Amino acid sequence: MTAGPTAAPSAHRVLPIASARATLALVRAELRGVRGPAAAALAVSAAANACALIAPWVLGLLVDAVDEGTTTAHALTLTGAIAAAAVAGGVLTAVAFTLLARTGETVLARLRERVVRRALLLPAPVLARLSAGDLLSRVGDDVAVVGDTIREKVPFLLSALLTVVLTMGGLIALDWRLGLAGMCALPVYAFALRWYLPRSAPLYVDERAAMGERAQALVGSLHGAETVHAYRLHAHRRALVDERSAVARDATVRVFRLFTRFGGSMNMAECVGLSAILAVGFALVGGDAATVGQTTAAALYFHRLFGPLGAIMVTFNDVQSAGTSLARMAGVAAMPLPEPPADAMVPADGGVEVLGVGHRYDGGPPVLRDVTLRVAPGERVALVGGSGAGKTTLASVVAGLLTPAEGAVRLGGAPLDRLHPDALRRHLALVSQDTHVFAGTLADNVRLAVPDAGEDRVRAALAAVDALSWAAALPEGLDTVVGEGGLRLTAFQAQHLALARVVLADPAVVVLDEAGAEAGSAGARVLERAAVAATRGRTALVVAHRLPQAVEADRIVVLDAGRVVESGTHADLVARGGRYADLWNAWSATGAPA
Amino acid sequence: MSAADTAPAGTAPSGGGRLLRRALLRNRGRLAIGVTGASLHQTAEALVPVAIGLVIDRAVATGDVRALAVSLAGLVLLFTVLTMSWRFGARSLVAAIQGEAHLLRVEAAERMLDPRRQDSGMRAGEQLSIATSDADRLARLLHFGPSFVSGVVGLAVSAVALLRIDSALGLGVLVGVPVLVGAVQVLGPLLTRRAASQQAATAATTALAADLVRGLPVLRGVGAETAAADGYQRSSGAALRAALHAAAPSGAYFGATTAGGGLLLAGAAAFAGWAAINGRITIGELITVVGLAQFITEPVRELGLCGQGIAVARASAGRLAAMLDAPYRLAPGDRAVAGEARVDLRGVHHGPLRGLTLSVRPGEFVGVVGHDPAETRALVALLSGRTPPGEVDGDVLVDGVPLGDIRLDDARRTVLVEPHEPDLFEGTLRDNVRAGVPAGAAGGGDDEAGLWAALRATAGDEVVRAHPDGLDHRITDRGTTLSGGQRQRLALARAVAARPPVLVLDEPTTAVDAVTEETVAQGLRDARHGPDAGAGLATLVVTSSPALLARADRVVVLSGGAVAREGTHADLAAADPDYRRTVLR
Repeated sequence: MTAGPTAAPSAHRVLPIASARATLALVRAELRGVRGPAAAALAVSAAANACALIAPWVLGLLVDAVDEGTTTAHALTLTGAIAAAAVAGGVLTAVAFTLLARTGETVLARLRERVVRRALLLPAPVLARLSAGDLLSRVGDDVAVVGDTIREKVPFLLSALLTVVLTMGGLIALDWRLGLAGMCALPVYAFALRWYLPRSAPLYVDERAAMGERAQALVGSLHGAETVHAYRLHAHRRALVDERSAVARDATVRVFRLFTRFGGSMNMAECVGLSAILAVGFALVGGDAATVGQTTAAALYFHRLFGPLGAIMVTFNDVQSAGTSLARMAGVAAMPLPEPPADAMVPADGGVEVLGVGHRYDGGPPVLRDVTLRVAPGERVALVGGSGAGKTTLASVVAGLLTPAEGAVRLGGAPLDRLHPDALRRHLALVSQDTHVFAGTLADNVRLAVPDAGEDRVRAALAAVDALSWAAALPEGLDTVVGEGGLRLTAFQAQHLALARVVLADPAVVVLDEAGAEAGSAGARVLERAAVAATRGRTALVVAHRLPQAVEADRIVVLDAGRVVESGTHADLVARGGRYADLWNAWSATGAPA
Repeated sequence: MSAADTAPAGTAPSGGGRLLRRALLRNRGRLAIGVTGASLHQTAEALVPVAIGLVIDRAVATGDVRALAVSLAGLVLLFTVLTMSWRFGARSLVAAIQGEAHLLRVEAAERMLDPRRQDSGMRAGEQLSIATSDADRLARLLHFGPSFVSGVVGLAVSAVALLRIDSALGLGVLVGVPVLVGAVQVLGPLLTRRAASQQAATAATTALAADLVRGLPVLRGVGAETAAADGYQRSSGAALRAALHAAAPSGAYFGATTAGGGLLLAGAAAFAGWAAINGRITIGELITVVGLAQFITEPVRELGLCGQGIAVARASAGRLAAMLDAPYRLAPGDRAVAGEARVDLRGVHHGPLRGLTLSVRPGEFVGVVGHDPAETRALVALLSGRTPPGEVDGDVLVDGVPLGDIRLDDARRTVLVEPHEPDLFEGTLRDNVRAGVPAGAAGGGDDEAGLWAALRATAGDEVVRAHPDGLDHRITDRGTTLSGGQRQRLALARAVAARPPVLVLDEPTTAVDAVTEETVAQGLRDARHGPDAGAGLATLVVTSSPALLARADRVVVLSGGAVAREGTHADLAAADPDYRRTVLR
């Protein structure tokens, strides 16, 4: 849709999709954990369905008995058997459903936990190459589709399949010729499916896409209401919603029209099977090869198949689509986690060494060239340079988000790739340009890395960056629900929270990239002070997108076209009259008299 | 499904009832076809067991070949009616349902986007779910209503068939089935409650996963991935417990339905068997009775579902009505203005503003610096005209006319406020940048040149050139594929390209680097107040950027809710240490 000439995603940007075999293996592995309930569920379901076979059978017997002139007592005995089978079937059905739910829901929960954990722990360099939307749809839509199917479709499908198999068995046991007659319907069903599935699949895809576009038009309009009003776009947006909604409506109606034709074929199959049984029964009864009762039982058996067979046909699509989603989930679950290095090292101190690092993105021009930089424990270093100088790339390399093409990074003397991932997480924090406010309370947002931190520690962290005053003034203080569905925090507040998180996480090294960028007027100064407070006593590498962020650093490193061109204190560099002095002069000329 | 969905019928506010009536009324043609089709279908379904009994009675038991041929032909005819009536009835109903949901959706969107600003007190997420889920659920009334009618017809046909065979038997089945289904429905409320809490727990887990993945860079930054995965596991475990909790009553419900249906069948068979032995009915009638006893549970269960579905539709109708009937915040004025770039605030009290007096004259470039962001926010909100005049003391005049008296369209045309957090829309970059260019304005090449001029003025040209397809590059909704700085520059270009008489910008350069900020400041000055700009445009920028302030004709400093100081940037910077600290950071 958005495909420009270069927009086609290269292979490594897409998460893997598991093969059918790998998907099944994953499901089997999870089923092993619930082997007992699973086996019991199957056995009890089969028993429950077997009970359901008793009624038509006995009714056949009843017809014959009446035909031959039986006693009322015998008839009552027979119908008593139906009643007993009904009670037993009811109890078994209740147990079977509960067991099936226990099995299915447990497997589903384990699957989604495994997929989400794997997604969250994907190695940073792998993650950086992925499209966020793909991962999001794996843990969101795919999990939801599989969940709905396991919950709402699988138990009934399983039960329907058992009913069909057992009823067919019952038909054959009753009289194999009547059984064969009933099977005349099967080719018609098969033909209907073969006609319907390939025709409906693209229509369903269209329908889903149309619904997605409709949602996008609605969400975009609502979210951007401010802009819609300012630019008097309401008529335009309304027309867009109208148009998209109409397309989705038509797509749904189109799919349904096809479905009604499919439904017609199923009715035809029912008619063929029923007629065949009655005709064959007629012949058999005429030749004294079967009784009227047997024919009745066969017809009743077949009549009971209408529902389950229809259900199987109708859920075929859903199951197929859930299978696709399951394969996409399994693809994530099967991604290897990097083995922690066998001889993991622990950083000795907060020092950072960048040694001869060079990098380029996917065959593009080099963004870092032979960068060497040593930051002493506790030192605050600012990276300065124009757009595209490589500041953010260098910060990402130091934070371990990016594996550089050349050179190495050492934290406290230990090479990055020799650190245990957990040790790296505790040792270094990164505040990046991405701010995100998680749905939950404000306090929970601060204690992300330290989930068991008490309220006093959360308050202390907020106070340390001077955010406590506004946080406590929220409608419900630190317990105010923020993020998606809650109070919408401003960009300034989100950035402020990010710094409080760092204080609570208490790492030895902090990499700050673009802190304060979106903060606006008075906010930027507050954030600047907060950043200093959050990095106090830690080694800090600060990407200074704005010069004032650099002035107070212990040392300023100027990057230009991926190289370090200058390094020194603010005063030194201004005095030197080089690149930094140029930048500073340009800024302070408009920045008014110093 | 929220708890409100399960609200018993009868609690929907009257507004909801109006929407339901309207839905039935405006779809009456399709409903008539649909109800006819569905009723015919149910009748045919009810007649299938009757037909089986007839075929066995007349043909199989007698060995009459002619009877077999006739009755099989009748069976084929019955199935033809059955399938055709469903096909056309259901198609008509689906068209009605989808059409109604579409109309409701568009109506809801229209209300939500109305420039008079609806005051429904609902968050965007809530509004969205009303425009999608509730519209769909209300429209399902057009499914459940006809289902109800056809269920009743199916029951009536069965009743007639049974009563014709044996009145005692017929009455017994007719009383027994509803009693049985009603008894099973006792479980209903428990079932719905457990299902609702399960759905809520599952939805929360799904939302949590999406939220965590969206915030993954942040989690990673502070090393919170494992803690987040543990949190997800807890949430997933809670959802699992809720699901298991819901499974038991569901199982009991299905079990009870199965047992009840079977018992009813046994009872009917026992009575019919006795009747057949005593010659009251034939064998074929026995089969018919048994078949109907099996069939009849279907329409009755369907009726139970209809009751539930209609209750859900009523609840949704109530929510939709609450939104559609919400009052507007703004009463539109009817005065036209010529659109001269003249804004006057006189002694304005509103929120943190305490007697603010401020004027902007045609041709002026005014910078506004605030020590308290709440004050500048209030000022921007006032100028955007989204504050009802009743909440403001003092005068806000545009072109000499109170802002609240001006026709909304004229007011927005005269004063354009580009929001601080820019919202771009899905579409091409061109669509986005020309969003504010009047439709009738110079088209074709001139238009394109105008866009590029605006883009150059705001350093947006670099953003466009970064994409090989240039202005035809498509962005996703909210422009999430662009960086914050890129979005800011495009939004600024959009504002400049619109050429409003008065342009109000709120911290327009917070996401761009210092060098770009210089370019933007100069570009903005030239585009709005340069020699080629055309006379009389006014610009008001709330900012603390020295680059922008240095280019303003005049800088106004807000403090304590009013203008504290006024002057050129250079003078203020030289004379006022507070000012220096604010703007120099």
